[in-house]
Amino acid sequence: MGKRIIIDPITRIEGHLKIEVEVENGKVKDAWSSGTMARGFEALLLGKDPRDASYVTSRFCGVCFSVHQMASVRALDAAFGARVPWGGTLLRNLVMGAEYVYDHLVHFYHLSALDYLDIMAIANYTGKDSELNKVKDKVVGLVQRGDTFPLTPRYEPDEFSVKDPDVVISAVKHYLDALKMQIKAKNMGVIFGGRAPHYQSIVVGGFTQLPDINQVTRFRSILDELATFVNEVYIPDVVAFGTGPLLPLAKAGIGGGHPNYISYGSFELNEAGTKLVFNPGAVFGLDGGASREPFDPNNITESVRYSWYKEDTPKHPYEGAQVFDLERSDAYSFVKAPRYKNVPMEVGPLARGFVDQDPTLLGLVKNYGVKPGAVARHAARAIETKKVVGAMYTWCDELLAAMTKPGFKIHDTDHWEPPVEAEGAGFFEPPRGALGHWIRIKDHKIANYQAVVPSTWNASPRDERGVRGQYEESLIGVPVADPENPINVVRVIRSFDPCLACAIHLIDPKTNAIRRFMVE
Amino acid sequence: MGSRKRGKSRENRTEQVLILGVGNLLLGDEGVGVHVAQRMMEMDYPPEVKVLEGGTDGFGLMHVLLKANRVILIDAVKGGGPPGSIYRFEIEDCPPFPDIFKTSVHQISILEVINLSGLIGPTPRTTIIGVEPKCMKMGMELSAEVEAKIPKVIQLVQEEVALSLGRFRREQSVETPSPCRG
Repeated sequence: MGKRIIIDPITRIEGHLKIEVEVENGKVKDAWSSGTMARGFEALLLGKDPRDASYVTSRFCGVCFSVHQMASVRALDAAFGARVPWGGTLLRNLVMGAEYVYDHLVHFYHLSALDYLDIMAIANYTGKDSELNKVKDKVVGLVQRGDTFPLTPRYEPDEFSVKDPDVVISAVKHYLDALKMQIKAKNMGVIFGGRAPHYQSIVVGGFTQLPDINQVTRFRSILDELATFVNEVYIPDVVAFGTGPLLPLAKAGIGGGHPNYISYGSFELNEAGTKLVFNPGAVFGLDGGASREPFDPNNITESVRYSWYKEDTPKHPYEGAQVFDLERSDAYSFVKAPRYKNVPMEVGPLARGFVDQDPTLLGLVKNYGVKPGAVARHAARAIETKKVVGAMYTWCDELLAAMTKPGFKIHDTDHWEPPVEAEGAGFFEPPRGALGHWIRIKDHKIANYQAVVPSTWNASPRDERGVRGQYEESLIGVPVADPENPINVVRVIRSFDPCLACAIHLIDPKTNAIRRFMVE
Repeated sequence: MGSRKRGKSRENRTEQVLILGVGNLLLGDEGVGVHVAQRMMEMDYPPEVKVLEGGTDGFGLMHVLLKANRVILIDAVKGGGPPGSIYRFEIEDCPPFPDIFKTSVHQISILEVINLSGLIGPTPRTTIIGVEPKCMKMGMELSAEVEAKIPKVIQLVQEEVALSLGRFRREQSVETPSPCRG
């Protein structure tokens, strides 16, 4: 048996995602992904007014609030029979589009980039650029004060880390610029959303706040700044890294996993809803025989074979429940194992790119030999940010045109009262990937509620056939030269933009971080 | 300093007090900060004061933090005292945590976000009013011990706000406009 490494990213007093890998001959031989926090927030909804669902579900997750709100109102739209007017759809999309830019920039620059940089190389920068020298002084100053947070490399740099001082310093400059840009993206979403977090204006039937021309103008002017940053900084950075120093990682397909991808589809580009930014679909296999199929929600089941729940056979989310069973002998996760046609699927930017057969993504595959994996995920994320930015211009134009027409509506007020009995499913593609909410209403109240979140797809444990989830599968074969420094494992997991590590917020003034990093 | 200049400085966001309640509303006492913020939202304040439910957001709160020069943060705090104990400390009382990124694959804490905002702007002076939780199991209700302390917590926050506003106004040393209009 190989060496076991446990990476348990407990940052608060309760942990949420634990990755355990078995390393043999410098490579990962087997892996286990474990959600270590009891979830099942859905139980809080039972018996409540269905309209409370978007309020409660937007507090499910520590980071992705509004996307739950969006999936929830869509499930309610379906159950109530509400028809969201085009104006309401446009406003929802603009708020969610802002969320995309915010989320992807933060993920790339602030949560991921440092995995690939040897920050200390900055000290060797000898160029004359005054902006970059300011960055150098800032970082060197932090080092001298012994306060390198938050720029300290989290693991030791390895052979894939970028060490060229010119490249590193410009990346750190962009890190600082992106901090300002994410603030702009948040401010942009707030223009229509009301406040963030927990936007007030997205409700069943549409949107609550009528827009005025000034708001659209302000939105567009921030959008211009973000578009410039995405096109002139973010995309070039990702391309320069992915086809430059990180090309060996990209070509090796480090972190590939199962070649099965699913997208529920999102972001209407026309009133009829026939044109979308992200198309729904499922892709099985990539090598030559890739088959694409339309998305059918009836194919989704959740297995609990290795999860701490009382349930036996895989169930459709409408039928699912969360009754914990902590005694299950071989269970190792609170995360269920969603499957589509009984196989594990990846969700998120890479999945959307393959489902859409995005030409830029396929170009990287064809021209550079990039394989699905950690680097490809970052590329797919950047590519789709650009697509969403483009779509936001379309939505602004459409909104301006719609606003000036008589009878402009943003809400279906005829369907505000909960039906006696109904069910509905709401699908959305948040930045992290496919999100589904399912609601059953009886006597005007919530009788059952289930959410299958993106990280549940990606972080799932094995299913009843013993097939690994996507995090687990993506780690097989990943090089771990030094068990003390499993940087590639972290690179792979982080490339998914994992979202289980964050649902709690307690401050511990003594340590603020309980860390376990054991080698046994 | 004339009233025009004062108006301008407000636009430059130099005198905003932010009451920020953080935590997870769905995890019992972990959500105490959010409960306090939600109750304080119902109260009246002068225009310089803003109350926000921050939830469990991290980076996403930077856009409001940089608009404030004074933050009063309410959160569950594990300080080792009996449930319902109230703590008050400045952000500087907590050490910076350079190892945090090493262990978290995704998010960073609110204190880190405040420190991080110092890289691109002035960091707001931040006081934390913390409450020792009893139960952090799933649920939207507070424990009796914590619930009983809410009025005291609100009073402490209001005292901080009053002190901060007093300081602004002394610094401005001009006639204060009616607090009823923003």
